[in-house]
Amino acid sequence: MGSQKRIAKELAELTESPPDGIIVELANESNLYEWKVFMDGPEDSPYHKGRFELKLTLPTEYPFKPPTVSFVTKIYHPNVTNDDKGSMCLGMLKADEWKPSSRLSAVLEFARSLLGEPMPDDAVEGRIAEQYREDRKRYEEIAREWTRKYAGGAASS
Amino acid sequence: MNPLSPAEMERFQQLSNKYEPELPGPLVSHKQSTNAIAMDYANADPTFATKTTALAVTHPQSRIMKGDGNSVAFGYFEHLFNLRDPILVQRERARIKSLSTLLDQVGLDENTYEMFVEATEEAFDNILSAIERGERDDSFLLELFNDEYNSETILCHFRFLTSAYMKLNPHRYSAFLPMDMPIERYCSTQIDPVKTEIDGIGLQALVDGVIEGSGLVVEILYLDRSEGDVVTPHVLTQTRPGLGAIRLLYRPGHYDLLYRAESAVNMQPLVNLQYAISSDYAPWDTSHLSFDMNSSLMSIPNMMMDNSYALASPMSQPPSGPFRVSPAQPPPDHYRVSPSQPPPDHYRVSPSRPSPDHYRLSPSHAQPSPDPYRVSPPQEVYHAPVHTPPPPPPIASPQPQIRLSGPPPPMLGSLPRRTDDGPQIRLSKHVIESNLNHSLPLPVTAPFKNSPFNHAHYQNPDFEPMHWAPNESRK
Repeated sequence: MGSQKRIAKELAELTESPPDGIIVELANESNLYEWKVFMDGPEDSPYHKGRFELKLTLPTEYPFKPPTVSFVTKIYHPNVTNDDKGSMCLGMLKADEWKPSSRLSAVLEFARSLLGEPMPDDAVEGRIAEQYREDRKRYEEIAREWTRKYAGGAASS
Repeated sequence: MNPLSPAEMERFQQLSNKYEPELPGPLVSHKQSTNAIAMDYANADPTFATKTTALAVTHPQSRIMKGDGNSVAFGYFEHLFNLRDPILVQRERARIKSLSTLLDQVGLDENTYEMFVEATEEAFDNILSAIERGERDDSFLLELFNDEYNSETILCHFRFLTSAYMKLNPHRYSAFLPMDMPIERYCSTQIDPVKTEIDGIGLQALVDGVIEGSGLVVEILYLDRSEGDVVTPHVLTQTRPGLGAIRLLYRPGHYDLLYRAESAVNMQPLVNLQYAISSDYAPWDTSHLSFDMNSSLMSIPNMMMDNSYALASPMSQPPSGPFRVSPAQPPPDHYRVSPSQPPPDHYRVSPSRPSPDHYRLSPSHAQPSPDPYRVSPPQEVYHAPVHTPPPPPPIASPQPQIRLSGPPPPMLGSLPRRTDDGPQIRLSKHVIESNLNHSLPLPVTAPFKNSPFNHAHYQNPDFEPMHWAPNESRK
């Protein structure tokens, strides 16, 4: 199937020349459709020095249906659900906005940029979004603390 | 009523976002009688009822399509198969593959598009081997396009090409996008996503970028509320018809495929080739056309061109590119048929024939049809920046132009407007007269006479179409 070939190629590219702060591997060597992603919190963000594990799941209909990206590592972020799913809200990953020409490396890079610049208007955690808008300092404190606690980061405070 | 909590609202919103109506039927239907479409509209707006009834006569077969892109793509491959010319299929295969350079130019990575190109190539290969096997049955194509994954893949390839073509030729489209939307954004919201249906601009770009180079004609027949008794044809391609036409029936929001009377598929391939480009209504009013058709005169190109061109004043230049303004009324050239040559299939063999793409030259008509191009206001004021239209050639002969890039050719707009209020179908002298005088008797056309499908009934002010009433039929 063409899609497997494409996934394999995208994976090969991502492992050979990984984008900044992103490491990708298969969760299970025999399954192309489940990826394990490690993402370093970008500098100038409260997630700096944390390393987050994400799960990228490709539907069998890929690339006609979007992949899903979720945080395995707990994270305090307006665009990531604060539950055991850690689901991520990315406009480009919605079924009706997804483009088969989008590349997985772009998806992951976008996810990482979202750590540096949350999108409170598209928040899945309204409370965190509100705090991000109105009390940035407190938001950063908590995010940094969670990063240290869950993502092994030694946040400078 | 209790207001819903935000959480519940959100849940409902999510459910609603995910909802996809279960449409019955396959992605691409078998050919079926266009009467089925006429039946759908039997009790609808009278304009629709009239037009669909007429349509069932002129285009007796149709395919109901799910998804608009399918209509064009399937129509394209189906024509290639029906033409049975292996060289043509090879050529098209190579041409479509070479369009990958467009994808490179807009920065798509080969790894990203490779699988789509491969799927399309496979379709060509299937067609090729079917032709070589001497296969006549197109069910393998139906199967291919009814496999969701396959058809998605091919459509996606066409989407990529369309999107790239638009981005590389922004001057042709940008003025027509709603609310000055940048091309990039238009493509990423209207062309690229899998779930979008094509709109008029996108369709024009698909035709320009992907189909035009094949030499196939793409014609849309608009079923709308515009005046007239027949659907409004509009040709999107500029090439001189030579291979056949993909005909799309546009009903607000959707495109299906249409096939003319004595559709190509059932016929000898070579005959097809000639036939499919004709736009003749001969099968249903042969005998009455003969009086004003002189076959020797007919062989003079443009002999039958509408002489009203000479009468009217030039129009302002219409916008270029996609908005080559659909004539709201089918120009009479359409019916320029010489019935004296019995099988309509042959009548085009003479190369000097005026080709039906003449009617593209016909100026836009007063009736604004609710076609999608009309929606966005900018185009109304847009004048193509680059060129001034040359004066219309004394004899407007169609100029085959393949324009893959560069400024659009001068539009047909400098042609004067036609001045007829008369009937759009040249049925017979009697029809015309009876129409003009609003007099009876009913015109009678040969094969249909008093059949309800006889179009001429609509000229009769007292005519009432048959209505089906369930209670009556069950009494």
